[in-house]
Amino acid sequence: MKRAQFIVGVAVAAAVLAVMPFLDRYVAYLVTIVAIGSIGALGLNLLTGLCGQISFAQAGLMGIGAYTAGNLCNAGLGLLAIPLGGLAAAVASVVIGLPALRLRGLYFAIATLAAQFILEYLFKILEPLTHGISGLLIRPPTVLGFAIQDDRANAGLAVALLFLVWSGIGVLRATNLGRSFLVVRENEIVARGMGIDVARTKFWAFLLSGFIAGIAGAISGIASRLANPEAFSFALSVDYVAMIIVGGQGTLTGPLLGAAFVTLLPEAIQRIGELFNIPSILSALREFAFGMLIILFLIFEPLGLMAVVRKLRLRLTASKPSGKSPSATTEAV
Amino acid sequence: MTYILQLMTAGLAVGSVYALIALGIVLIYKCSGVVNFAQGAFVMMGAYLTFAGSRLGLPPVLAVPLALVLMAGIGVLAERAVLRPMLKAPVVAVMMVTLGMLIVIRAFCLAVWGPDPLAFPRIFPDGALEVFGVFITYNYLTAGVLSILLSLGFLVFYRFTPVGLMQRCAADNPRAALAIGIHTSNQVSLAWAMSAGLAGVGGTLLATLNGLSLGLADIGLIAFPVIVLGGLTSLGGALVAGLLLGLLQSFTDGLLSPTIEDLLRAHTTIYSVGALQQVVPYALLVAVLLLRPQGIFGRKGSERL
Repeated sequence: MKRAQFIVGVAVAAAVLAVMPFLDRYVAYLVTIVAIGSIGALGLNLLTGLCGQISFAQAGLMGIGAYTAGNLCNAGLGLLAIPLGGLAAAVASVVIGLPALRLRGLYFAIATLAAQFILEYLFKILEPLTHGISGLLIRPPTVLGFAIQDDRANAGLAVALLFLVWSGIGVLRATNLGRSFLVVRENEIVARGMGIDVARTKFWAFLLSGFIAGIAGAISGIASRLANPEAFSFALSVDYVAMIIVGGQGTLTGPLLGAAFVTLLPEAIQRIGELFNIPSILSALREFAFGMLIILFLIFEPLGLMAVVRKLRLRLTASKPSGKSPSATTEAV
Repeated sequence: MTYILQLMTAGLAVGSVYALIALGIVLIYKCSGVVNFAQGAFVMMGAYLTFAGSRLGLPPVLAVPLALVLMAGIGVLAERAVLRPMLKAPVVAVMMVTLGMLIVIRAFCLAVWGPDPLAFPRIFPDGALEVFGVFITYNYLTAGVLSILLSLGFLVFYRFTPVGLMQRCAADNPRAALAIGIHTSNQVSLAWAMSAGLAGVGGTLLATLNGLSLGLADIGLIAFPVIVLGGLTSLGGALVAGLLLGLLQSFTDGLLSPTIEDLLRAHTTIYSVGALQQVVPYALLVAVLLLRPQGIFGRKGSERL
């Protein structure tokens, strides 16, 4: 991560946090879901975008995070429940991932699909921990005697965590491990030739990506005060894969753009539908737009919104030559 | 004993429909390397089209073939409009684009036919056949027999006719096929047409058994355990694995679930195991991937490290 990028990140996060107390509750809610989506997308991007393993178990892992954090929160652990939720999901991710180390591409994707369905099933039947289909009610955690239960407090928490995860991944990308992810993605044989332990690298990818997914799930559970199987279904896993495709795989900021796009699109269609008073076909319209979006992006802009942004930036810098355009292209990993 | 036979016939009937649906996925994978997640959507769409046909007053003898032809058209459209531009895209992107198609088709059905389950018109007569004390309703009987016949008919077509030979050439080695004058991209379109058509019939048959709803698209996903079990590239394997999974589901539902529930109730506070039969295929899938990733009939490929 370049220093300029980091400073921009700090500034954006600080600005959002600073205006938070004055935000409308609905806007705060939107900020929360975008931030949660961004964290989840960053986690999946670590595995798919950086390490080249597509996973359909993201929603299941988030569910593990939500249920763990929910139970711990109810037990009175406060905010500590969030990293512990992440830890539980990290363990699950490694359990799913390790056997799959022997599988590649397609087979790995199908294995994670199976894991997703098995997790969904477990959420439904492990009544003592998950309260079945009706879901686990989560009491808001308290920090310094102050309960986090207001939409604005949730949004603040989500944005703060998003910033931590984002900068953590930014740092990770520049480390040896981060770079070896990229080599493994491009070519495992070359990676081995360079002395990279492929299995160990993938292990770390599963662990870290699972941890981040668990954190995303934990906040989503705490923010909605409910963890139920419906909320962590296969459809959500597809949403997350769509986010990193729409945003731009393997980039640092792409997943954030993708998450904003994918979570805000249904909201926007909802508003438009209310405007024209056509609620009956609204959910169909929402799904249709979402599906078309995936198809069109994959056909016409497989590198996602980041590529669009980069093209725009190149066009701008080309009109006033400042010699900075090469750095924009080398960043395109 | 009759109970077991009863479960077996039900399992075989459903399993043969799974086989029919899975054949289509294997066919497409063989000739274009695309894993079609939209197969479940084709299944659902076919059932809805048959429904629409009989709503218009067509007799089942016409409505089902009409749905088949329309589905074949949709299959070709999907291949030409969506998959063709993605010829050089990575596997992950292609997988995702078929998921996009799944979502779009589902949304279409949701918009036209609404979210609620519909009563599927009676295509086969009511009543049951009794053999050695086992009751087989005509629904199950026709679903099983029809899908077995269609699957076998397709395998014969693939193995013994000139067009089937061209299909196999195009799947085996596209370059060589091109060199001897086979229009490979037309063959790919044909594969999509056949696959979607078969899936459509499979969907109609499933709807006669379980009713018509958007959930049919999820049933289509069961085809994935089937193809992994059978080996991704083996059509015969898909057929056998489909039947096996049907049996497994039926026995899980009828024998295993009650046994486990008794055990759980005796020792824990868990009261029900829910829809265990829907998860068992996936558990089996994980086991197969770990022990024998090429499936029962597949050839050793490079997918395994």
